[in-house]
Amino acid sequence: MFKYLRPKEQSYAFLQDVDHPEKNRYGKAIETVSVDSELRGQSLNINGDNRVGENPNRYKQHGFYFTADNCISCHACESACSEKNDLEPHQAFRAVGYVEGGRYPEYTRLNISMACNHCDDPVCLKGCPTRAYTKYAEYGAVLQDPEICFGCGYCTWVCPYNAPQLDHSKGHVSKCNMCVDRLEIGLKPACVSACLAGALDFGIMETTPENRDGLDTSIPGFPSTDITHPNIRFQQKNKLPDEMSRTDSMPVKYKKNAKGKFEPHVAEKSVSGQSAEVEWNLNKLSTRENPLVIFTLISQAVVGAFILLFIGPMIGLETLTPVKNTIAWPMFLFGLIGIQTIALVLSTMHLGKPHRFYRAFNNLKYSPVSREVAGIAVFYNFIGAFTLLTGLPQLFFWLPESLLQLFVSITGWGAVVSGLAAIYFMHKIYRIPARPFWDHWQVFTSFYGNVLTLGPLLLVLVFAFIQVLNNESWMQVVPMIAVFVFVGLLMEGIGLYFHKNDLMKSGGEGAAAYFEQTTKFGRTYIARNLGLLSGLALAISMMVIDVDGIAAAVLWSGAAAIVLLTAITGRALFYALVMPTTMPGAFFWRNKKFQEHARETGLAEMPQVGVLPDLH
Amino acid sequence: MLFGRKQKNPITIADKGVVEWKYATCGYCSTGCSIEVGLDEDGEAVASRGLADADVNRGKLCVKGIFEHELFRKTAGRGDKPLMRDSYKDEFKEVTWKEALDVTADKIKSIQAEHGRDSFAIISTGQIMTEEFYTLGKLARGVIGTNNYDGNTTLCMSSSVSGYKRSFGSDGPPGCYDDFDHTECLLAFGSNLPEQHPIIYWRLTEALEKRKFPVIVVDPRVTMFAQKADLHLPVAPGTDLVLLNALAHVILDEGLADDDYIHASTVGYDEFSALVKEYDPESASKICGIDADMIRKVARLYAKAGSAMTIWTMGINQSTHGSDGVCAINNLNLITGNIGKPGGSSLSITGQCNAMGTREWSSCSGLPGYRALENEKDRSEIAEFWGIDVDYFPEKRGMFMTDILPAIESGDIRGLWLIATNPMTSMANTDLMRKLLAKLDFMVVQDAYADVETNQYSHVFLPSAVWAEKEGCFTNTERRVNLIRNVVKPHGDSKTDLEIFNQMASRFERGAKMVFPENAEGVFDELKQLSKGRMLDYSGMTYDKIEESRGLQWPCNEDSAPEGSQRLYTDGVFQFPDGKAKLLALPFVDDNERPNKEYPFWLNSGRVVEHFHTRTRTGKVGNANKFSPTPFMEMNPQAAEKLGIEHGSYVKVSSIRGDATVMVQCTERIAPDAVFIPFHFHECVNRIALGLLDPHSRQPAYKQCAVKIEVIADQVAAAKENVEARAF
Repeated sequence: MFKYLRPKEQSYAFLQDVDHPEKNRYGKAIETVSVDSELRGQSLNINGDNRVGENPNRYKQHGFYFTADNCISCHACESACSEKNDLEPHQAFRAVGYVEGGRYPEYTRLNISMACNHCDDPVCLKGCPTRAYTKYAEYGAVLQDPEICFGCGYCTWVCPYNAPQLDHSKGHVSKCNMCVDRLEIGLKPACVSACLAGALDFGIMETTPENRDGLDTSIPGFPSTDITHPNIRFQQKNKLPDEMSRTDSMPVKYKKNAKGKFEPHVAEKSVSGQSAEVEWNLNKLSTRENPLVIFTLISQAVVGAFILLFIGPMIGLETLTPVKNTIAWPMFLFGLIGIQTIALVLSTMHLGKPHRFYRAFNNLKYSPVSREVAGIAVFYNFIGAFTLLTGLPQLFFWLPESLLQLFVSITGWGAVVSGLAAIYFMHKIYRIPARPFWDHWQVFTSFYGNVLTLGPLLLVLVFAFIQVLNNESWMQVVPMIAVFVFVGLLMEGIGLYFHKNDLMKSGGEGAAAYFEQTTKFGRTYIARNLGLLSGLALAISMMVIDVDGIAAAVLWSGAAAIVLLTAITGRALFYALVMPTTMPGAFFWRNKKFQEHARETGLAEMPQVGVLPDLH
Repeated sequence: MLFGRKQKNPITIADKGVVEWKYATCGYCSTGCSIEVGLDEDGEAVASRGLADADVNRGKLCVKGIFEHELFRKTAGRGDKPLMRDSYKDEFKEVTWKEALDVTADKIKSIQAEHGRDSFAIISTGQIMTEEFYTLGKLARGVIGTNNYDGNTTLCMSSSVSGYKRSFGSDGPPGCYDDFDHTECLLAFGSNLPEQHPIIYWRLTEALEKRKFPVIVVDPRVTMFAQKADLHLPVAPGTDLVLLNALAHVILDEGLADDDYIHASTVGYDEFSALVKEYDPESASKICGIDADMIRKVARLYAKAGSAMTIWTMGINQSTHGSDGVCAINNLNLITGNIGKPGGSSLSITGQCNAMGTREWSSCSGLPGYRALENEKDRSEIAEFWGIDVDYFPEKRGMFMTDILPAIESGDIRGLWLIATNPMTSMANTDLMRKLLAKLDFMVVQDAYADVETNQYSHVFLPSAVWAEKEGCFTNTERRVNLIRNVVKPHGDSKTDLEIFNQMASRFERGAKMVFPENAEGVFDELKQLSKGRMLDYSGMTYDKIEESRGLQWPCNEDSAPEGSQRLYTDGVFQFPDGKAKLLALPFVDDNERPNKEYPFWLNSGRVVEHFHTRTRTGKVGNANKFSPTPFMEMNPQAAEKLGIEHGSYVKVSSIRGDATVMVQCTERIAPDAVFIPFHFHECVNRIALGLLDPHSRQPAYKQCAVKIEVIADQVAAAKENVEARAF
């Protein structure tokens, strides 16, 4: 680890020993652990080196200091980082983007170099289901271990700064390690040491480097510090134009408010002045998250179907009893397990490293992902047991009937509770402040709405058809089920209505995502809304219209298809539209539109373009 | 804290396993950064780092230098074996070195026999080592004997060379980076240090951190440098000479000139002052677009500063009056007494890593060591030293690169040897270039990269080693001679340029009789002998001393300057026979192709920080290339909106010469009547650029011509066209 000290090293590379306040502005002590903590004096064991660094400030929270006034976007920091960490061109732990404003020649470009902010409240650490993250007593560094990570990418969703990087070619996340190996020998991180404009510095938090002025926590483009209490401070003194725009494709611009602070707004016109067109963009609905579209919808449908099947007889739906349908009833249960299995396999295959799936439970304490997976796993086991107990009772001839009934009851209720809990945690996964489009109670109404809509529809499709085949009237099931479908769709619709209003009021990335919903995906969005309305109308019809037999079967299959298609479209939009609160990109680097363009045109086939050709 | 887990996991951080660091000087631009390449156990080059104790870069490197070791690993497109074919339309066949060199030598001889010695031209570069330049010069002037021998430095620094010669009597930048630590005012003309020379920019910011002084940037584009400057003068394209004359006008008019210095060290004051009298700020402002008060303000600031310096790059050089622009800068510094003193200088910021080396030693424009063909004493000195007949030298230099290529059309040039240069991408008017190169009877391309675009028209390809696959010296912008140690062996079957030149020389009767030292250090000894006692004095240098000092600035000799010299002309004595510098009267002649009704935009071109020249190297280093993997054009958003052009879409840019497809980046950094395209990309800006030649330096005016912009309806086809033009 001492190899980084160059002969006759320059003073700019060395950390400074300076006075610092006891606490940071959020009230957190700069000293990471108490003087007598057992965590002191331990080796970081970097690459098997068990020496203990002699940095006198080893147990103080460190962070970057960025003089935005000075950055010239020369890429030296990014390159020094990539060189030290041996990163492939498509990867980067540090990136420089920019915002610009003013008119020629009174033009200003503000470059922003950003890596990990080693936050006081690291949402990545809390979100990670595998516990790949650790916040160390040493320097307060938040480090991530790719060898633990299974590549779900959830940390990349929750981080407001785009710090964790999911490498699709390697199947795991990695990120800025604060160059703790350099810190151990008193050297500043490689990026800081490489800076060519006096822009990037590093040191103990809440201290101002020599010749610098200010400890700001905001610059245009930098997300609110409320989310994570990031350990970064800025100097931004030069006058900026009142409005700053981005060169990348995210329709966000920044405007000065009355207090002189920049706030994000929707950029309704492109940099070149064109208004966005209202389009379908159906092909862009297909994203890397497709497995999650299927997984969430199936899980919600299965939970809903099971609950209705289990509770149905109790509320008078006698069709839904094993006695009434001796073959269909168990077959339906096995079917539910089957599709839930497919959904689980898909969600596992969605991981960068599927063979590490078992690590999903590692962080029940903090991660909604761990809790969701645990919830689904418990639900899956309960309905499995319930299915065996009820579908194949002959296997349990040795059990006294009362005990069997007790087990049936326990497993049934267990599945109901765990299923509902799993959907709750599933919804919690998306309540991410760094993704304002998701961070709304609409996710709750949508997910539970789907439980009410899709589950019952699944039942109708099976049981009503059986009744038709048996020449029985299905009117005894349908109106009741229609109520669930109606309520589910209504919940979803109400949620969406408030979602839209709240997003438009919020400004920023949430409003920008809504703006894309009404433009880039405008036609698709309208179609989805019409689908919802048609679904509601059909549900009402089901409740009141007296149609039976084959005609009804055909009619209601059509209705089910509309509802299902609407749900799939809605969920795909949910993933395709979300816009993170990340830092502005550059024209090529970290510009989503250019990345898509490079993939579509084949430019990405050249590895030196720095865009992976395939994300799946 | 250990938030997240109960037990510490061991930490893994990439370890490249460097066991040895080898000394070199960066092979990209002319800043001259000392760099070390790290080798792992297997001898693979795996890392680069700046030398902390090198005065130039003080441990820093730019994006290109940080990944320079990758040149040895990213070998896509590298030349491995010599290639040959009868016609450029045929496929190449791999041949032995003997065959390739024999055929080349025979072809040179037969072309010269049939069409005269000068019908075979040689165009070299600013990229190879000084020792190689010198050897090539010996071969070209002393053995092959063609007078049509030049370097691609005509495309970048020729105007500075010409301007220095006209003002001071010799080439050679008089200042150094240390001047930033002394100057009280810095004026930058057409120089975007943060992108073109980031390490020099860092040296400047370091000086500014210690001591604030005004920085004035003259550039039609709001470059990063313009933005960081105290004053930005968005001059109208191609009118810098008017601004410079007006600044001199104010200084003389207001009695701010250093009369003692003018009297003691210059001649030509009367004609000069009569001419600048015509350039009053009011009249000048109407041409150059900078208002009269600003001109006065800058002139006063500059003249009243205790010391003031001007730096410039291609904004001055690549112009129809580039040489005059340089002379006008020299005028400004002469009348304010700002030459040869700490913080007072005319410092051209050079382009290529060894553009200075070729100016000094390659014999392109004359004879080694700043000697002139036009000077009889110089001719006989070199003839004697090389052991050849003095009559073998022409008495006047031949054509410049920019005249050699067009001379193919008239049949004056029949054969061409290109060394580490890529006119297919770097010369204006690509279509014309194709036509010219296709017409040659014989062309040999000597380059590290077989995929260099010019190779499409060659008959013989000689694969050469790149950068620290060889050993030798570079001279940087501030006259610092620095060393490149051999770090790894040449790729595949490629050879060092020195060995290629030596082997070629041995195939000629004259060459076999002359001494061609086998290794670089042997050649360096010849340089020392030839430079002893001259302004360009290397005699106090040795390889080991250079490495120890992290470079030595000439003049460097054992008697008076054992550690080299930071500045030239400190005594106010110049290289003209009378020892006086010339104040030159420089009338502004506007002969640019100006925007008009049909072609309403100025086209400007320039560099981006992540690329070097025609991208044969940086286009393959992903961690540099990714920042601009495909060409783009900066365009003002208001202009774009008017034409219905979308940010990020492809447009057609055309001039009367041709058109190019390029992606638009809308930004207010550029004027509404101008566009900017980086020059690095093949089949792009130079398909449309004009490149009128400066009458003195023959350098092309890449930065001024008229174009029109059109929307492309079929974006898919345009994208396809762009991808097809990108082999790397």
